[in-house]
Amino acid sequence: MADKESSDTSFSSSQASNPLSRKLNKILETRLDNDKEMLEALKALSVFFSENSLRTRRNLRSDIERRSLVINEDFLQVFQSVKEQLDSVYNDVKSMNECCQDMTSRLKAAKEQTHDLINQTTKLQSESQTLQVKAQVADAFLEKFQLKPEEATALRGSRDGTLHMDFFRALGKAKEIHKHCKILLRTNQQTAGLEIMETMALHQESAYERLYRWAQNECRMLTGDSPDVSSMLCQAMEALEDRPVLFRYTLDEFGTARRTAVVRGLIDALTRGGPGGTPRPIELHSHDPTRYVGDMLAWLHQAAASEKEQLQSLLKKCRSNGEQIQDILGHITEGVCRPFKVRVEQVLVSEQDAVTLYKLHNLLKFYHNTICQIICKDAALLNTVAEIQDLSHRMFFNSLNCNANKLLDKVELPPSDLGPTNSLNQTLQLLKDVLACHDASVVAIDDKKQDYKQILSCVIDPLVQMCSVSASRLNSTDMAAYMANCIYLMQTTLAMYEFTDTRLEMLQAQVDAQIDTLVSEQASFVLNKVGLAFVYGTVQQHQPKQGPLSALPDMGGPVLKSAMSKFDSYMASPDSLVLPQSRLLLSGRVRETVKKNSADLICSAYKQIYDTICDPANEYKESPSIVPRTPDQVVRLLS
Amino acid sequence: MAAGPYNYSYIFKYIIIGDMGVGKSCLLHQFTEKKFMADCPHTIGVEFGTRIIEVSGQKIKLQIWDTAGQERFRAVTRSYYRGAAGALMVYDITRRSTYNHLSSWLTDARNLTNPNTVIFLIGNKSDLEAQRDVTYEEAKQFADENGLMFLECSAKTGDNVEDAFLDTAKKIYQNIQDGSLDLNAAESGVQHKPATPRNAINNDQAPNKEGCAC
Repeated sequence: MADKESSDTSFSSSQASNPLSRKLNKILETRLDNDKEMLEALKALSVFFSENSLRTRRNLRSDIERRSLVINEDFLQVFQSVKEQLDSVYNDVKSMNECCQDMTSRLKAAKEQTHDLINQTTKLQSESQTLQVKAQVADAFLEKFQLKPEEATALRGSRDGTLHMDFFRALGKAKEIHKHCKILLRTNQQTAGLEIMETMALHQESAYERLYRWAQNECRMLTGDSPDVSSMLCQAMEALEDRPVLFRYTLDEFGTARRTAVVRGLIDALTRGGPGGTPRPIELHSHDPTRYVGDMLAWLHQAAASEKEQLQSLLKKCRSNGEQIQDILGHITEGVCRPFKVRVEQVLVSEQDAVTLYKLHNLLKFYHNTICQIICKDAALLNTVAEIQDLSHRMFFNSLNCNANKLLDKVELPPSDLGPTNSLNQTLQLLKDVLACHDASVVAIDDKKQDYKQILSCVIDPLVQMCSVSASRLNSTDMAAYMANCIYLMQTTLAMYEFTDTRLEMLQAQVDAQIDTLVSEQASFVLNKVGLAFVYGTVQQHQPKQGPLSALPDMGGPVLKSAMSKFDSYMASPDSLVLPQSRLLLSGRVRETVKKNSADLICSAYKQIYDTICDPANEYKESPSIVPRTPDQVVRLLS
Repeated sequence: MAAGPYNYSYIFKYIIIGDMGVGKSCLLHQFTEKKFMADCPHTIGVEFGTRIIEVSGQKIKLQIWDTAGQERFRAVTRSYYRGAAGALMVYDITRRSTYNHLSSWLTDARNLTNPNTVIFLIGNKSDLEAQRDVTYEEAKQFADENGLMFLECSAKTGDNVEDAFLDTAKKIYQNIQDGSLDLNAAESGVQHKPATPRNAINNDQAPNKEGCAC
């Protein structure tokens, strides 16, 4: 509508210049198709402008204005309600704001009011937390430093004195707490530490006391052949180890019980034997000393080994050293010492035979060594064995000495063949037997050497003495041959054994002396027989200042010649002039030595005579006819 | 657990006999240590070893006395037969002489032990098959004739060693069960230990003992 008016206006203005053309132009220029506003306006105009008349045209403006007014009124009316609504919203918001402010202020007030409370609460909360931590600590502390009621009960134990495994656990704990208290004492908690320590000490003391009573009782009952060392008892020993005195007492109790058992076992083995008498009781063999003593010693050896094992099983959990075990073992085996000693002493004292005594001595020595590997040297049992061994040693040498004295008391005369006497043979046989049983024994080499030395001096010295005494009435040649024979027999006996070298050397020296005698006897016998003894004696004593030898009486050529022819016939058969005593020599070697050495002696005598006769200063005529053989020839003939 | 190897009910005493060099000590060593001892020195007198075995669920401790084979120790070793529950009589399958001496060893064993002693014949060195001098059949017949148990073993390889010791123990145990071996008699070679310690634990707790033995 406005557009229409404006186009009307422009139309009229163009009319003003060239009003019509301009108006026309304008109308023509107007593109009504494209002018939506114009189209809208016209469309709206078409609604109410139905009658194109003058009046209506005149009224158009007012009509339009009226319509505009109506529309505006409608508009106003519509917006009125909007405004009212907005107003109410505004009021609502406003009241809300007020409300909120009120709330804020109230909250603020409340906050101010609760601030203290919150503070208090926070404080209380933190306090509670602290307390909780403290409670935990306290619990942990109690856990660590106090016995639980059931543990305390376990420690107090039941009225009948029995023990449970709980006991050991509780005891272990009490011990641990006691130990931990030392840490407490290092901190500020000294009072608590001391108090707890005291409580624990009390607990422990009473527990150890009970444990000790129990263990003591248990040990007291271990008197069977093979005691039943329960694992509980082992545990008890381990626990008791912390109380050395109680530990020691309990062990002593164990030792005493075992000691009784071992004594009873020995007596049973000695007198009762096995079931139905097999194996037979040891005492049934008391007539056979080596078996009797050997059986007893073997029994003791086995018993000692078993006891040691039992002891070790008892103390298997303990740190206990071997010394303590040995100590108790010594105590256990002490009981059998007396019954054993009495029996062996009886055997030794009533035994006369040196060989048996020596066997017993070696047996004792062997078992001393064997048992030594099980129990320590200073145990009573080993001391007893050593004592008896000492006694057997003395008894053995007594027996040997006795034998020797008998030899010297009743000396036999040498037989006519100058061979050994019966007593010599018997004594040598005894020596052989003794040395043979030494061979069969197992004793350290040093001991053996020492023993041999003593035995030999106990036997050989009196023997040599006896032989000298027995030979004292013989002439020197017989004596030499007899002594050589006796000593030769001793030598052959000894040569079979070890450690006899020195002794053999000494005997050889004596034989050598006898050989020397025999050699000189043999040589002078030959010289006498051929009549050269006087000649030789004169030749030896002759001094050049006495003048020529041929001038001396009985030293003339013919005398010498006849002697030399006898000597010649001796040389043809040297054996014809052997001393009868030489033939009786038992040793071929000695016989040979005598023969050879006497021949040497004769040869040297001949050489001296030969040299003297051939010496022109002695004025022998025809000396080659007096001594037809040179010394070399003589040596060749006689050797 | 803590009761450990000592928790046994019986102790059986064994003795090992036989000629020198048949391997008695090696058998013992093989049994107790499960090792072969190559340069075994001559035994002097007697030595002893122990091991715990199990027979029919019972723990048994074997106390084994190993004797010297040398003749000079014969007098000493004879004293150790007394009270043996088992005697292991050993010969060397490669040396007939050691087999020939068995009858004298057997006489000793019969005379010096109690009638219930179990005698077990062992032919040792079965690993040396090439040098065999005594057949299995011959020895088996000897064993049967004399009522002995018999096995061929090798201390070197350990073959059958375990069985020889165990079978002996089984036989002894069987004798106990039969009642033919009287435990109460002294020197039976067997010592019995009651399984539950007297006075130590109340009856109702006894079964727990194995479990909680700490």
